[in-house]
Amino acid sequence: MANKQLLSLARRSHKPPSSFTVVRSSSSAAEEFIKPPPPTAMIYDRIAHSLKSKLQKLEKPDIRFLKYGSPHPTQSSHTHILSLPETKITTLPNGLRVATESTSNSRTATVGLWIDAGSRFESDETNGTAHFLERMIFKGTEKRRSEEEIENMGGHLNGYTCREETAYYAKVMGNGVLKAVDILADMLQNSKLEEGCISRERDAILREVQAGEHTEEAVFDHLHSTAFQYSPLGRSIHGAVANIKTISTEHLHHYIHTHYTTPRMVLAASGAVKHDQIVEKANKLFTKLSSDSTTAKEPATFTGSEVRIINDYVPLAKFAIAFEATSSTDPDSIALMVMREMLGSWNKNAGGGKHMGSELAQRVSINGIAESMMAFSTNYKDTGLFGVYAVAKPDCLGDLSFAIMSAITKLAYRVSEDDVIRARNQLKSSLMLHTDGTSPVAEDIGRQLLTYGRRIPIAELFARIDAVDPSTIKRVANRYFYDRDIAISAIGPIKELPDYNWFRRRTYWNRY
Amino acid sequence: MSSFLQSLLDPKKSWLASLHMKTLTNRLRKYGLRYDDLYDPYYDLDIKEALNRLPREIVDARNQRLKRAIDLSMKHEYLPEDLQKMQTPFRSYLQDMLALVKKENAEREALGALPLYQRTIP
Repeated sequence: MANKQLLSLARRSHKPPSSFTVVRSSSSAAEEFIKPPPPTAMIYDRIAHSLKSKLQKLEKPDIRFLKYGSPHPTQSSHTHILSLPETKITTLPNGLRVATESTSNSRTATVGLWIDAGSRFESDETNGTAHFLERMIFKGTEKRRSEEEIENMGGHLNGYTCREETAYYAKVMGNGVLKAVDILADMLQNSKLEEGCISRERDAILREVQAGEHTEEAVFDHLHSTAFQYSPLGRSIHGAVANIKTISTEHLHHYIHTHYTTPRMVLAASGAVKHDQIVEKANKLFTKLSSDSTTAKEPATFTGSEVRIINDYVPLAKFAIAFEATSSTDPDSIALMVMREMLGSWNKNAGGGKHMGSELAQRVSINGIAESMMAFSTNYKDTGLFGVYAVAKPDCLGDLSFAIMSAITKLAYRVSEDDVIRARNQLKSSLMLHTDGTSPVAEDIGRQLLTYGRRIPIAELFARIDAVDPSTIKRVANRYFYDRDIAISAIGPIKELPDYNWFRRRTYWNRY
Repeated sequence: MSSFLQSLLDPKKSWLASLHMKTLTNRLRKYGLRYDDLYDPYYDLDIKEALNRLPREIVDARNQRLKRAIDLSMKHEYLPEDLQKMQTPFRSYLQDMLALVKKENAEREALGALPLYQRTIP
């Protein structure tokens, strides 16, 4: 009895031992006191206990956080944003089209000229004139120095040359729009193009050509030059070095005279602009350009081919694989845009990481086989390119090529509804997010008028995108990817990149 | 049906299950291991991911227990008796995290995405 009381007293005063002391007892009676330590004795047990309670909280997630998120892509209605401001288009008697979209709440505007002339319209001897001319036009006219005048107003003057179009545009405050139109008209019609400026510009261009040998644009230039070999789309925009050295004032004037003609130009403006004012000004100013509407264009032919420039001294390999795609006016171009979104793009800074929607991006990121990858789909007047561009370390090129080709060919066999809905939503939002601001809108107007002849209303564009479903994707993929020739261009340490026959074999599967 | 199986496997309800648990307790206690220490991260990558997510102290304690057991096994010894009495073989630290990892992987697969890791045969 007393023993029992003693034992119970001892048990009650038994404190839990600290982490490093051990209850040892030499007497045999005290051995019964050795028990497993309680769960709060050791620090790892305490931490495990608190972790258990935290994990149990995860079993019942807070509904507030799950209310709007869903892992399943859904088709939603966009009718409330489809009523955007209307684009007003007027065709002047000399053929020039003036198109404006005025948003009444903006205080800035972009006005520019989009011209249906580019490096495609040159010949082998004159290759490089379009780009040279675009650089020279900014250098000054007989009356004034254009860049200075725009900068005095606080605006920006910019221009670019593509293979099929050239653009000059100015971003100005709302009250400077008419002056900007004046300056643009002057630039195009009265440019001085004097010899001294030409030679300085020539050196600058030659330096740029040299510096840009390992960039992304170089891969795409090589891709075009091999895919469209012996055809005008294959020529690079800045031209061959020999041509750059021999371009002179008459070449440039001749180019203006033959290609900068009013039926091939669109004066586009967006922002704080009024359509009638701009039409009036354009009527008065654009008088010295010829109204010849011939666009002498050679057809472009696609040749399945490859160009590889091996260079083991750079750290990363860059390559692009392309199929021949549709022209921009073909209805299947929308399906190709959706397929481009399905393949997606990824780089190491992407927020989605390993959890992106596209299977190709997941495969690339989970296995770490590329530094970045991007699917592209470009359309020209009668042809186009669709493919994937990737930058990778030299040792994983085989795995990366396998992933790319299996993702592209899979589009002809197995397409899930979820992927298509997700790609459609991504395409719609990327189109809308891109035309966000006066300059992108003006560019959009100019390009659409040049390629389609009209501005496609957003409602129609969304309807066309929604019409793309899995069977359309499979049909379009069968038409453009299944067992078709490809063009490959690669630069860098590309020894392990598989050969052309390897890629060509993987444009179809024998499983089905 | 599953509740019948659960009652077969529950040590509190089935004599056979409690005998199994007692046997395991005795064996684990002799080497000073816990049941969760026997889960091998090389066998299942989910276990590796769960161990990666556990706090450092828990994983350190697991590794020390494993080192102690390996040492005892090499010397053909068991843990001293007084330490054996303090062992708690079925105190778990891994089961909840492992269940969470498996649930996340199952959800990812159900949504049709590629798995984050796959077992490769070395």
